[in-house]
Amino acid sequence: MAELLTLAVIGLGTYAMRAAFLVMAHRAPPARVARLLPYVGPAVLAAIVVPAFVAPHGTIALAETAPALLAAAAAWLAWRRLKRNLPIALFGGLAVWWIASWAVSAAGGLGLGPS
Amino acid sequence: MTTLAAPTPVVHRAVRDVLPVVLAYAPFGLALGATLAATHLPAWVAWASSPLMFGGAAQLLAVQMLNAGAAGVLVVLGALVVNARMLLYSAALAPHTAAWPRRWRWLAAYFMADPVYALAITRFTGTDADGPRERLRYYVTVGLLMWPAWMGLTGAGVLLGGVLPTSLRLDLAAPLTFLLLLLPMLTSRPAYAAAVTGGTVAVAASGLPLGLGLLAGAAAGIAVGGWLGGRDG
Repeated sequence: MAELLTLAVIGLGTYAMRAAFLVMAHRAPPARVARLLPYVGPAVLAAIVVPAFVAPHGTIALAETAPALLAAAAAWLAWRRLKRNLPIALFGGLAVWWIASWAVSAAGGLGLGPS
Repeated sequence: MTTLAAPTPVVHRAVRDVLPVVLAYAPFGLALGATLAATHLPAWVAWASSPLMFGGAAQLLAVQMLNAGAAGVLVVLGALVVNARMLLYSAALAPHTAAWPRRWRWLAAYFMADPVYALAITRFTGTDADGPRERLRYYVTVGLLMWPAWMGLTGAGVLLGGVLPTSLRLDLAAPLTFLLLLLPMLTSRPAYAAAVTGGTVAVAASGLPLGLGLLAGAAAGIAVGGWLGGRDG
């Protein structure tokens, strides 16, 4: 059960980080810090998301990067045009990704593009 | 606090906000569950990462590293680096939660997954300002719906792991879901700049070990956002 123990330690550490400021903070953060806080969300989420689209499996390869970026653009467009409808944007993005991946591999199979 | 569970407009609002997020999380949750089941770990141990961590990115990393036979210390280190963003979330939420009773803040910390943070911070910094009680009701409602949804989705993914066709590729579901959490936060020029910088630096630093590229991108993005925000404001 070493694996369960490892997962539990990660869980405890994660909980400690989540609680750190939420539970321990007694007063408002200094102005210099408070000025940065609105940018936590955009910076962190973009740092997760952008590499996952640009290099889906760790390296930039046209056959994988292009469909992923196309899917991201489609999801973004759907979210903006359709009143921020999350499910439609998500499943629309997935559908575009499936079609584009299929098209790239079909083109590759015919010797037309990157394989 | 006895009336906390009474339905109020803010509770309805929370339900309305979280349901589409739950639906959007379905492919990610199912795919993660299937990935957990495909490891050599006992299925229930792999699934236990859901209640223990309540965050898909670190669950995926930890279980995959364990499956590859990585040393426990390295697995803990890698997952905690990925989850270090929770420190930032905690700091960003703290000014909005300071008036909550302490025991509720302990509970709120457990619920602080990416979607809960994203919905809460968007609500708390929006134009219509809630009081502390309304904020607490909103947050707890979102957490109480997101938590069982995540347990159920990953559990269903574990059970369905062998049944889902392998041609049904869902690995882009996670980044698409996070993209949809990011988009509502892009409300100003400095916020865009923070996102562009964070993403660019994270790509450039993606070769760093232990997923440190994420932290490098986050730090650079926050710094640029704060710099532009201070200059514009």
